[in-house]
Amino acid sequence: MNNKFDALKDDDSGDHEQDQGSPKDSEKEKPEEDDKEQNIIKKKKYKKTTDPDGPGEHPLQYNYTFWYSRRTPGRPASTQSYEQNIKQIGSFASVEQFWRFYSHMIRPGDLTGHSDFHLFKEGIKPMWEDDANKMGGKWIIRLRKGLASRCWENLILAMLGEQFMVGEEICGAVVSVRFQEDIISIWNKTASDQATTARIRDTLRRVLNLPPNTIMEYKTHTDSIKAWEDFHGLVNASGGR
Amino acid sequence: MSTSRQLSESRAIPTRTVLINDTTQLPHDYCTTPGGTLFSTTPGGTRIIYDRKFLLDRRNSPIAQTPPAHLPVIPGVTSQHILSENKKNEANNHINNHDGKPTTGDDSQFEMDI
Repeated sequence: MNNKFDALKDDDSGDHEQDQGSPKDSEKEKPEEDDKEQNIIKKKKYKKTTDPDGPGEHPLQYNYTFWYSRRTPGRPASTQSYEQNIKQIGSFASVEQFWRFYSHMIRPGDLTGHSDFHLFKEGIKPMWEDDANKMGGKWIIRLRKGLASRCWENLILAMLGEQFMVGEEICGAVVSVRFQEDIISIWNKTASDQATTARIRDTLRRVLNLPPNTIMEYKTHTDSIKAWEDFHGLVNASGGR
Repeated sequence: MSTSRQLSESRAIPTRTVLINDTTQLPHDYCTTPGGTLFSTTPGGTRIIYDRKFLLDRRNSPIAQTPPAHLPVIPGVTSQHILSENKKNEANNHINNHDGKPTTGDDSQFEMDI
């Protein structure tokens, strides 16, 4: 189904902060203001691939960036090492550009070691500390081995296709490959917004086709930070990992 | 103006009652709005919505085949070749298909823990 509402695009209401993965107009250039504080994102290098105006391409409501991270077993985790271990794979602005990336990436079920894929709106780093995430939280779903690839795909297709219907609240999604289980999660901006978190949960149930009795858990990032600090015996003023 | 007139017999609107016990038994398109979402409100205004099938159908378009420019080389993660699609993912991932039938391939979609 093509978007039938192109003519109404300019009627979008709501605040769109530039550095919060704002939705774009097809009539205007992708704003370059996002570049300023995003040192990791070499946006200019990707300018072509974040332009959805190729013929036959279907624009997405937001641009997104794929990230990959892997922790070497035994190496202690810290805020600094997390930021260094996480690597951008690339950004895209259209359905077809998404497939170009996705078709050239391993499926999560085939990843080895302690690895994660992150798919976040352009401009939002997949870290608790990012402005978009610091008041936020995530739904997490623990999966036994064998389900991650399918669930991740269904999750990101729902996110890219704007199936969650929670305005600007979605930040991104993560699939985490761990020793005996895999975890998928979806991050939103406002942990205290129960209407939003409920709607996200309902959409997850509908689109993920999970085994019965799968438990979904909502965690605020501040709680995750505390848990991390307790586990590592650290108190970190910035609340980072 | 037509002079011949027929009155059709009146009938009750035919309905069918289906008992379901679980939300997973809802039809795939139950209560959907254009674009396939479940919700009737769109916070934030009109949005570009694609349903799963539409997104999957774009996978085979010619512009989606070449690797993206500047794809970082991460062995074991990225590849210059198209990684074989999991055709099972593209099969109608119908919400109702919880019949325990496993599909071939590494990801069995319909296994259930009892």
